[in-house]
Amino acid sequence: MHATESRWKSSTRRHFFRDCQVGLGSMALASMMGDPRAAVRAAPQAVAATASGRNPLAPRDVHFPARAKSVIFMFMAGGPSQLELFDYKPKLQDLHGKPIPQSYIENKRFAFLKKDQTLLGTDRTFVRRGESGTEVSTLLPHIGSIVDEITVIRSMKTEVFNHGPAKLFVNTGSPRFGRPSMGAWVTYGIGSESNRLPGFVVLQSGPRGPRGGTPLWGSGFLPTTYQGVPFLNGADPILSLSNPAGFDDSSQGDFINAVRDLNRLRYAETGDAEINTRIAAYEMAYRMQSSAPELMDLTGETRQTLELYNADPAKPSFARNCLLARRLVEQGTRFVQLYHTDWDHHGNPGTNLGQPLDDRCREVDQPAAALVKDLKQRGLLDETLVIWGGEFGRTPQGEPRDVRGRDHHLEAYSMWMAGGGVAAGRTIGKTDEIGYYPIEDRVHVHDLQATVLHLLGLDHLRLTFRHQSRDYRLTDVHGNVVHKLLA
Amino acid sequence: MGRNPTTVASITLVTSEGKRIVPTFPVFMCRVGQASLRRLALGPPAGGELRRNIATGCDITVTCASASESGFLSQWMAKSGLSRCRASREIMSNKCWLSCVALLAAGTVMSAGVRVAMGQESVDYERQVKPLLERHCVDCHGAEEQSSGLRVDAAQLALRGGDRGPAVIAGKSDKSLLFQALLGQGDLKRMPLDQDPLSKRDIAILRNWIDQGATYPGDERVRPAKRQSDHWSFQPLRRPPVPMLDNGHGARNAIDAFVRRQLAQREVRPSREADRATLIRRLSLDLLGLPPTMQDTRAFVNDRRPDAYDRLVDSLLSSPKYGERWGRHWLDSARYADSNGFTIDSARSIWKYRDWVVSALNRDLPFDQFTIEQVAGDLLDNASVDQIVATGFHRNTLINEEGGTDKEQFRVEAVVDRVSTTGVVFLGLSLGCARCHAHKFDPISQRDFYQMFGIFNSTDEYSASSRNFRVPAPEQTRRIAHLKPQIDQAERTLAAHDRQLLERFPEWEAGVTAAGSGSWTSVGQLKLSSQAGSTLTEQDDQSVFLDFSGPDQDTFVIEAVTPATLKRITAVRLETLTHPSLPNMGPGRAANGNFVLSEFQIEVQDTAGALQPLELVEAVADHSQAGHPVSAAIDGNEKTGWAINVKTGSLNVNREAVFFPRQALDCPEPTRLTVKLVQRAQGKYLLGRFRLSFSGGPPDALKVPAGLRKIVAIPAEKRTKPQQTQLENAFKLTDPRRKPIAQRVTDLRAQMNKVEATIPTTYVMQELKKPRATHIHIRGDFLRPGAVVTPTVPVLLKPRPPADKPLNRLDLARWLVNPQNPLTARVTANRIWQRFFGVGLVATENDFGSQGARPSHPQLLDWLATELIRQRWSLKSLHRVIVTSATYRQSSHHRSDLAGSDPRNRWLARQSRLRLEAESIRDVFLASSGLLFNRMGGPPVHPPQPPGIYVLTQQKKPWPEDKGPDRYRRAIYTYFWRSSPDPFMSTFDAPKANTSCTRRTRSNTPLQALTLSNDRGFFEIAQGLAARVLREASANDGQRINYAFRLCLARTASAQEQHRIAQFLEAQRDHFANNPKQARQVAPPVFPQHVALQEAAAWSATARVLMNLDEFITRE
Repeated sequence: MHATESRWKSSTRRHFFRDCQVGLGSMALASMMGDPRAAVRAAPQAVAATASGRNPLAPRDVHFPARAKSVIFMFMAGGPSQLELFDYKPKLQDLHGKPIPQSYIENKRFAFLKKDQTLLGTDRTFVRRGESGTEVSTLLPHIGSIVDEITVIRSMKTEVFNHGPAKLFVNTGSPRFGRPSMGAWVTYGIGSESNRLPGFVVLQSGPRGPRGGTPLWGSGFLPTTYQGVPFLNGADPILSLSNPAGFDDSSQGDFINAVRDLNRLRYAETGDAEINTRIAAYEMAYRMQSSAPELMDLTGETRQTLELYNADPAKPSFARNCLLARRLVEQGTRFVQLYHTDWDHHGNPGTNLGQPLDDRCREVDQPAAALVKDLKQRGLLDETLVIWGGEFGRTPQGEPRDVRGRDHHLEAYSMWMAGGGVAAGRTIGKTDEIGYYPIEDRVHVHDLQATVLHLLGLDHLRLTFRHQSRDYRLTDVHGNVVHKLLA
Repeated sequence: MGRNPTTVASITLVTSEGKRIVPTFPVFMCRVGQASLRRLALGPPAGGELRRNIATGCDITVTCASASESGFLSQWMAKSGLSRCRASREIMSNKCWLSCVALLAAGTVMSAGVRVAMGQESVDYERQVKPLLERHCVDCHGAEEQSSGLRVDAAQLALRGGDRGPAVIAGKSDKSLLFQALLGQGDLKRMPLDQDPLSKRDIAILRNWIDQGATYPGDERVRPAKRQSDHWSFQPLRRPPVPMLDNGHGARNAIDAFVRRQLAQREVRPSREADRATLIRRLSLDLLGLPPTMQDTRAFVNDRRPDAYDRLVDSLLSSPKYGERWGRHWLDSARYADSNGFTIDSARSIWKYRDWVVSALNRDLPFDQFTIEQVAGDLLDNASVDQIVATGFHRNTLINEEGGTDKEQFRVEAVVDRVSTTGVVFLGLSLGCARCHAHKFDPISQRDFYQMFGIFNSTDEYSASSRNFRVPAPEQTRRIAHLKPQIDQAERTLAAHDRQLLERFPEWEAGVTAAGSGSWTSVGQLKLSSQAGSTLTEQDDQSVFLDFSGPDQDTFVIEAVTPATLKRITAVRLETLTHPSLPNMGPGRAANGNFVLSEFQIEVQDTAGALQPLELVEAVADHSQAGHPVSAAIDGNEKTGWAINVKTGSLNVNREAVFFPRQALDCPEPTRLTVKLVQRAQGKYLLGRFRLSFSGGPPDALKVPAGLRKIVAIPAEKRTKPQQTQLENAFKLTDPRRKPIAQRVTDLRAQMNKVEATIPTTYVMQELKKPRATHIHIRGDFLRPGAVVTPTVPVLLKPRPPADKPLNRLDLARWLVNPQNPLTARVTANRIWQRFFGVGLVATENDFGSQGARPSHPQLLDWLATELIRQRWSLKSLHRVIVTSATYRQSSHHRSDLAGSDPRNRWLARQSRLRLEAESIRDVFLASSGLLFNRMGGPPVHPPQPPGIYVLTQQKKPWPEDKGPDRYRRAIYTYFWRSSPDPFMSTFDAPKANTSCTRRTRSNTPLQALTLSNDRGFFEIAQGLAARVLREASANDGQRINYAFRLCLARTASAQEQHRIAQFLEAQRDHFANNPKQARQVAPPVFPQHVALQEAAAWSATARVLMNLDEFITRE
């Protein structure tokens, strides 16, 4: 769904707001002279059209041809264990129970690891799947069935240990609060293709919200228009979605138009760009009123589709969120992030590599694979970048707790990607024999971020925003596009 | 939900070297290597001894029976020569224990090897040891830098040690951290870090020096530690000279001089002053959080006096609404909320603290005193109730009530939060970073953190007096003072009466004994029938048994003839009896064996042969179910009755009730009686088995229930005290004259309880009588205590308190507001500035450390800070200085000349447009509509909120939506559940009160648009505005539009605005005229009679438009 062909041309995003101010001011006056009721009858299309040229979320030119139009990021909060899921290490099995070899710890400084933790072999089974022969744990039979569609990265590397900061790091490129999230950068960079739904949507499942909270999808110093909109897991995805009693669609249209026109007059008076953001927010809110319930209404989905995802239309779940993610990108939403919590398997009762890991895998395996299959059969996979992974991995050493578990590991962990210009059936990177360090093709979090932007047609070096007298980027001063990942 | 250890065994572990290791605490589980001793340990009776040999380097896992044993565990580990202790708490199915893995030190083997190589060569400290330490260690552990708080540049400092305790223990190299570090033993990193290890020979030198007693020359010089920082914010506060400006630049006060000098240097002109309507709305919103009234606006706009503006500022600063506005800011810092947080998040009563903040700000309590009372009001001499209430500041910490949590862990978390909050709020420092390691950027060591921690570490967290500190209102205090003597008097009267009464106790006792239980006569020749068809049969023991196959409700009718021996009836007894065939043994027929006897009636045949009811006036039973007293069986009301369920113990036992007629029934001849047992309760609550008997004994004695009679049977000297008391109480009840006297006591006490129950309580700080010792927590883990520290303030911050004297909270509070402290005044002045300009002069208002932003106007910041102190810490005075500046009074319109060079308005060449905070948005809605209910203070209220908020919370929260005026209170008074605040609050960026928030973000999203336009609570207020306009404004569109504009925006509408709104109104009128049903839904529930329905609806729609304008929720 392309809202408009009128793309705003500019070499840098910064000019947008200045130009926008002039444009809106004069437009406001023009609309004053027309018959507002004529505009009302045409709502919501009229609303969309009048704003489209200046909407901060309108699609924008990219730096070079994009491979992907949208992103679905399945964020596995807590740090899934790559050693139980994607990175099988026979040598680790041999060394099970032994202290970690001196070579790993000599002359090295590890803030939180303890030298005396012994190595922990996995008690999970791995099999080679598909034509590519990618090795995947039997915990993930469905993901195993799509290995020829995805690329597994076994050499991810991050910088921070704790969940909150590490999640911020993956999402914003910095472990501290205050930077824009990836979804915000993307919608800032290329806008949204949906004028009916937010450009950046966050869906949550699992027993609780992700540690780190709203800054994970915040807009940082970017205009607030770009922050992620979390959908509620109830029947009503967004509060206050329906009009107060007695207002029908037409009177709501009157209302939106009047608010817009009066806001524009105020903008003409004060020149504050924040007013334009508010105008856009009201228009988006208005469109969301009809499109969000449509989005959540899964009655149109076939039984086969529901079975593919194993989604109960009436019950919030990761599976339902995967299906909603597909529906969102169909509608042109640019960035959908799915959080599924409780992957933090240290080895306590309830959080360990036994039953809790089984449970998490069961919750995500089939729906995640279904999402890739579904996108593919609808011809959407080529333009949708699918990412699966968490904020860090888990140590080859076991934790000396009651039950099997591993500590946070930032040197090496696994993620996978699919579609949107990513190679299919490939495995990138290799870790050493115990899975401690990457020894081939290390992919730093900043590299991943650079690659995601690249696939969307954005040069991570050029997507900048000036704040406190310096140009900021998602990748800070780092990041290289991982060309081996590209199809 | 703790767990009591059940079986506990003593375990003795014996190492391969023959060392015995005996735990000094109850062991729940013990594992050596892979072998579990748990089964063995639990096998033999407590006290048995199990032996298991263990080898060096073997894993031992010991699990304590409870987390509170952790201290013992750590001590035991240390004493037993076990090292590399790792302890942690686990949570599973509400059980809590502490597990610990230990490895026997391998060091002995290594050190033995070294000993062989070196022999026992005598070591000279000055010649051999000191140069080694200088060469390898002092770079990080010397006078310049003290990693882990350790210095080894002098022997006595090495002996004193660092954060982990002494580094050298004379004579014991194995126990000395210095030596262990050279080998990288335990969890120590091998030293020197990232460099080659020392040679074996050098290590041996150090080892032998330690083993030989670590002697050193007594005159070894210790250089003073050089820890200092040249960071700007730590430098002393000096009042900068106010710049002189060439041409005035329209400066009104010193602020303008600083700001405009900088602008002049940049060749930028300041903006013109905003118009008066904007100014009064700006001032009202900034100072009161409410829009100005129309009258105030008109008065100010027309006030031609030169000091009109200053008068306005003074009048606003003296409004009590000021405290509500600025109190709300402070409550963000104080992380105030009405619940405990975490997942359980139960209710908490601490609103008295909120009211204290509002009141303190309203009376302009100087900020130094404001600080002292909140941090340490309880420690002031003769602390007033108010000053104690103020300490709620640091009781706003979270409490985790989840099953299986370790109280100590979350107590420590609360203390850490107090340190962090103190750092952020008063010092603008992120002290919390130093919890686990030295601050990465600022000169705050881990030792500094725990010294500060020590100041807050001796608080009593748990006592009722600290969680439910009572704060009676004056009226309540008066009432209590009035009731207390009355109660005393009534009690004295009762006691005197009882003393006299008890003289007759032996007499009564004798009567009871005489009456015995044998005086009951059963009545034979029963004729049994029922009204609804139950089958009743008489048993051999004269009891009556009810067949199971009958109706659910019934009235049993028992006809009997008094025996000739019974000449007089003073009481009738009904025994209810158990039987194996009844449900649960009975005695009733209900599923649990209960029954409900609705009415017990007796009729007597008179001489003429007619049945006359016998009036029953009293009934006693040996047991009655709560709410079903036996008296209910003679109250003439079939809806009430006697039942016998129990809270504890068995319901299925024999019971008895005794009924007394008003007058004894004389029956010289055998007399015919009819007893009716009416049972009307739903669900087969029928008597299953019962027996009737009669007595002619003295009623007083007969009223004594069977239980008491058993006590009477016990000789007086053998009765327990409670038994004796029970008897005496029963006796007292027989005295009818006592009843009113006792009743008076009961009534007065009830009145007192009622008053007491309504006394508000609040959380306060209280010091423990015996302070806790504070250790450094190694890597922030409270289970890994390091060196003991003296409670004091960070060493680098000025002023320095006396060395090594432990500080308490009061010392800390006074240090915070000491004028020599360079941070508190700067941080406070900056934060106040931030409220008026949207961003502080230091943009990172909670980080004045080296990672924070530099001040945009350093001299202005210092001038404001010194001005705050000079004005005796009067916040209102500082407000006055700021808001009367020309800088503040500028227009907020954007300037195209500055869009490129200063887009974020850091140069202050104009004011900023600021979206209002969540609470203010609600408040301007209420104020503009006229619905605002201005009552101040009191318990939090429950305005309407959207449904479904508690779907994701662990426990559903009560939300009794207010229907009265409390529905329209200012948002500061809305109940705030930490786990689930009204989503409106979060949508508009209100913090969740889990940690201190000193600056809110300002977002602008479609969800905000949905909330303001569609939320039922906000629309209700928009209807209120419509009703107000229709009620108060002249009846033409232009007048009404202007009236509504002035209510909402404090200005009149421009011609274009008028035109657009008029168009909208017209369209709405048409629309609603054609849709009367919708019009009724949209129109205000109440509007003036002369107004047509479609007009009222059109105005609701218009009010909704105005209240959704950007300007309405923006301070311009």
